[in-house]
Amino acid sequence: MTSTPSTTAFDDRRPISMSFRNSQSGRPSSPHTPQHHLRSNNSSFASTSSASTSFRGEEDAIIFEFGSRWLRAGFEGESTPMCMVGCGPEESRRVGDYRGWLKSNNETDTSHSRLVKAEEWTGAYELWDMNLRDLDLALVDDKIERMFRETYNKYLLTDAGTSRLVLVLPSIIPHPLLSSLLSTLFSRWRFPSITLLTSAPMAVTAAGLRSALVVDIGWAETIISGIYEYREMTVRRSTRAMKSLLQETGRLLTRLSNDSEASQSADEISVKFELCEETASRFLWCRPKAVPQGSTEILEQQPAESDEDDVETADKHTASLSDETVSLPCPSGSGTTYIDIPFSKLADPVDKVLFAEGLADCELDDEEKPLPLLVYNALLSLPPDVRGTCMSRIVFIGGGSNIPGIRQRILKDVASLIEKYGWSPVRGKVIEQQRQKLQSLRLSQPQLPTVTKQEDTNEPSDSGSEKSTSEPQEDDEEVDPVEQKIRRNNKDKDAKPPVQGVLREVESLGPWAGASLLTSLKVRGLVEIEREKYLQHGLAGATRDLEMHGHAPDRRSGLRTGGDRSSWTLAGWG
Amino acid sequence: MSRPFPYAFISCPCANIPVPDPAKKRRSRDSPQKSNPDKPKPLLPPDDEDEQTFDPRSPRANFSLYPPEQLLYCEDCHQIKCPRCITEEIVCWYCPNCLFETPSSMVRSEGNRCARNCFNCPICTAPLAVNTLENVVTGGTSQQGPWVLSCGYCMWSTLDIGIKFDKPTNIRTQLSKMTDATPSRSRQMSRTFGDLKSPLSTYSSIDEAFLPPGESKPEDPLDQPSAPLNPDARFNALKNFYKNQISATSSSPTDPLGMDFGAGFSSPGALNRIMSLYTSSSRLSSLYGGANKKPKTKPPVMREALTAGEGLKVPSPDAEDALIQRMASPDCGWDGLASLEQRSFQSPDARFVDDLLPLPVLLRTKRSKRCKSCKHILVKPELKPQSTRFRIRLIALSYIPLPTLRPLNPGPQQAATVLPTPTAPGSTTNPNLDALSPLRPIQLLLTLKNHMFDPVRVTLATPSVTPGRVASKVTILCPQFDIGANSDVWDEALQGASATTTAANTATPATATTTDPRGSRSGGLGVYEKVAEAGKVWDKGRNWTTVVLEVVPGTLPGGVKRTLKKYPANELEADNHPSNNNNNNDDEEDSNSDSDSDSSVALDWSGQTSDPNQQLQPDEDVLEIPVFVHMEWDSDNQIDQEQGVGVGRGSSSDTVKRELAYWMVLGVGRIMREVV
Repeated sequence: MTSTPSTTAFDDRRPISMSFRNSQSGRPSSPHTPQHHLRSNNSSFASTSSASTSFRGEEDAIIFEFGSRWLRAGFEGESTPMCMVGCGPEESRRVGDYRGWLKSNNETDTSHSRLVKAEEWTGAYELWDMNLRDLDLALVDDKIERMFRETYNKYLLTDAGTSRLVLVLPSIIPHPLLSSLLSTLFSRWRFPSITLLTSAPMAVTAAGLRSALVVDIGWAETIISGIYEYREMTVRRSTRAMKSLLQETGRLLTRLSNDSEASQSADEISVKFELCEETASRFLWCRPKAVPQGSTEILEQQPAESDEDDVETADKHTASLSDETVSLPCPSGSGTTYIDIPFSKLADPVDKVLFAEGLADCELDDEEKPLPLLVYNALLSLPPDVRGTCMSRIVFIGGGSNIPGIRQRILKDVASLIEKYGWSPVRGKVIEQQRQKLQSLRLSQPQLPTVTKQEDTNEPSDSGSEKSTSEPQEDDEEVDPVEQKIRRNNKDKDAKPPVQGVLREVESLGPWAGASLLTSLKVRGLVEIEREKYLQHGLAGATRDLEMHGHAPDRRSGLRTGGDRSSWTLAGWG
Repeated sequence: MSRPFPYAFISCPCANIPVPDPAKKRRSRDSPQKSNPDKPKPLLPPDDEDEQTFDPRSPRANFSLYPPEQLLYCEDCHQIKCPRCITEEIVCWYCPNCLFETPSSMVRSEGNRCARNCFNCPICTAPLAVNTLENVVTGGTSQQGPWVLSCGYCMWSTLDIGIKFDKPTNIRTQLSKMTDATPSRSRQMSRTFGDLKSPLSTYSSIDEAFLPPGESKPEDPLDQPSAPLNPDARFNALKNFYKNQISATSSSPTDPLGMDFGAGFSSPGALNRIMSLYTSSSRLSSLYGGANKKPKTKPPVMREALTAGEGLKVPSPDAEDALIQRMASPDCGWDGLASLEQRSFQSPDARFVDDLLPLPVLLRTKRSKRCKSCKHILVKPELKPQSTRFRIRLIALSYIPLPTLRPLNPGPQQAATVLPTPTAPGSTTNPNLDALSPLRPIQLLLTLKNHMFDPVRVTLATPSVTPGRVASKVTILCPQFDIGANSDVWDEALQGASATTTAANTATPATATTTDPRGSRSGGLGVYEKVAEAGKVWDKGRNWTTVVLEVVPGTLPGGVKRTLKKYPANELEADNHPSNNNNNNDDEEDSNSDSDSDSSVALDWSGQTSDPNQQLQPDEDVLEIPVFVHMEWDSDNQIDQEQGVGVGRGSSSDTVKRELAYWMVLGVGRIMREVV
């Protein structure tokens, strides 16, 4: 799009610099590199001659990222997807049904607000639900087919099925769903092959990292995956995600629109979904509130007004914000009337849904842990080395990460959790008592907790290389001979050790961009499903042989896809 | 429904063929995709349908129902083709705004958008016009001065985001230069684009690009946390970084072979090192010499991006506070924040209306369409974007009868026309199709018009009670009839009575002499005195036949509430239940369950029930009748086709019997809530 002039310029220069570099390093024996890049560049900038389109392999792969609500699509090598397509009721109307365009006329019909159960209210907008029990797979097929067709016809503007397809999928997807997705695509169009990539490692790639803790605040669930060297080490899930957040916002708006008849049962929503989503995307925000810290239990109501300077400034913000009112279009009206609502009220759904405000820890089920706790647990379950690496590379993706302030809030809460519990999974009253006893034995001055508190909340906010928690401090003192040796052996004299042990956020361009990046570098994923193979056996044809993965280092000798084309694998999805 | 009542949709038969799951048909060796492309048996769908009536209300129906005019027909498969069962090839790309064609080689590089001056308003999507700021008419024509893009609809202009153009041409290049290179817009934005750079300029020279990492340390993210690249530049920086890493780590002497082979062969170690997702740790194996790969030079391990120039971005902790502040400030408000729709094609960072940029118009394509199973071309448009003509266009309406529906007026037909109008002006007796009263029978005329040059024998079938909770009774008075061939009007006039005797068995003499359906309807005195009779065709013309449908709209859930006040309860029961019972008796099995559940729910028609099952779902009050159409005709062999109808019909040896079956949905109207 807009950046193409610069990128083409860059591409022209690239080979030159490469060869220059090669001669510099005194290794002229590898002339393959410029060649390689030349080729990839040529193909990624679509065919100055139309002849190149005839070579199927040279054509740019097309990347689709599937979420449960949106489909992102675009070409490899581009930084943002070409389009983002949803599958709401508007998109699943009949062909020739232009009701969506007649909204003004139909206002009288539709505005009589119906109460809808929260699940149905959001369910109409989902492409699929991971719970396959009530899912009509044929309907999903229909939706996918239409979405793909329209994406190709409207946005990608290329012939469907001629080029390789790359799908970015969540790392867990039910086999029936995967099978129906692949069957639809393969039988509807002639894709030569479909490559599957997992979304979390792609997000890591798009952040320029190799290891990270990916916090995906998605639609149905928040998935936290610890990625170390591009491998998924641990996955934690919570149902506290955008779906329930939207439902909560819907309830809030419903209450606002008709507080006279407050007798409605709490689960029903009368507001239009579009309006609610619009409100949520525009106005939902997250308080930078510090949760109860250290051993002091709950001072939630007035969140630490004068405790620390950082929180104080944040509180100044919130204090000033609490007076502000914003006007939203009246949820029950026709769109011309507005209602005023305190701005601070718009942070309530986030607090309640994503952070489980006002609920004791013990009341929560395993699948509905609040996000900070989930992040903490995910970190806790990682081995210490990995944990140190991951905690300073926290990557937020998913729709929820766009809520202003939420990332800092999560980081702060995690920091306070770390400070409270350390890295010990042991909890309980007795333990707490013992710890307190020990503490009181060890240090008799009561000021200390606040001091540590201060350190802790300051440092993550600095987000620098300073060491914050106890572990990195130990790290500093500890001289690890092995580590040093490795570092010495590493030829790139990377004087700076990688940032470790600090809570730090790294921004990612998102899974789609990661996949685009990888594909444009001609890196092939492990799961590459070829058309003929799939059409013979379907998913059942995938090799489940885990030996394959064990032998992978050998296969890397160059012929990864050479000899054993007969077998393919689903890798992580298998 | 968006279409005015009455309307007709046709369900493409392809919806009944499930997407084949290869895993399930594993034993059958032949691939299911190669299902006999020459002739999918037209009888297959009806076989399936024996068990299942088409439900126009099922969510899947929305994906298979099409307006008749949007369907295509494959002459080789003899099958209706919907957008799902065709494949498309792009013929040309053009901008819908300026109608310039874009060559295929340029489409991608221009981001599928018009590279000229065509822009859409980021606020309201109306096309933007290039206007000058100063209307200096010095010396006649010269309009010098800065230029802006402005929207004629919502009065937005690029001045709102502080953009002016020097020339009225090549706006897009000017704009991309501005947005890519200069931080001019960033003054309003929360984050400064001060360090916005083109990807190359992160390294001012080649030497710098390959500085040892130690020297590039000064620009590490800690020192300049407030200098983020925009996503585009970051992406390019990352790409750059990965390329460097790959080339730096893969320069082992074993590699030169790689260039001779494909991408899969060259420097596999490096590729795998960066991205072998599920293989065992390449880092460890290379560190500790695992699998004795590259024993001489341990290649440096790919590192992660460390600096902002390499694409790393560590957001500053207070970056979002400013955002929140701005959101809450009174001068932002609802309209200051961009809506989801406005943001969908903008940079992912755009949150406020001020961040939105004018969007170049998306290109459109002309596509030729082929049958998916036999690859025959169904539609081929002319190449030029300006031309609206087609070289080939096989639309389904020239093969399947065009269904039209209109209410049958019991009174004199002063306003009846061939085109069905929902409310004919002037006739008070014409039922208002947007408010059908439940339980009051109405009669509808269904006209099927044949466009083929062969007479067609049509059999209609419909469930006697429509599926769904609102059970309306439907009776087709004459379900089996013939439609005459679409012969030349002159032919018919010349042949006179001989043609009509063969075509019509139940036609009235009045219609036999008329060739124009309009004439027979509006002119003939005998028409409106007629009473619809079971088993008899209502009306018949040269290539059309009209039959009568009798429909008793069902009652809506919760809809009888007001009548409960009006009538005593037992009267309503007498009105309601016997009819229901009648239904159930003469019904097939398929609709029994529906009407049964319906009548059981009927005990609780209170209208205000909180039980959502009892509430009216959207569009549940629309009366839609699924009708199964089965048509049979003797078509000439391809060679004889030119010879016309009269010859072909006589010699039966040349003809091939063809049949086609599909579901169609007739939208009659909307049922009112209360019984009048």
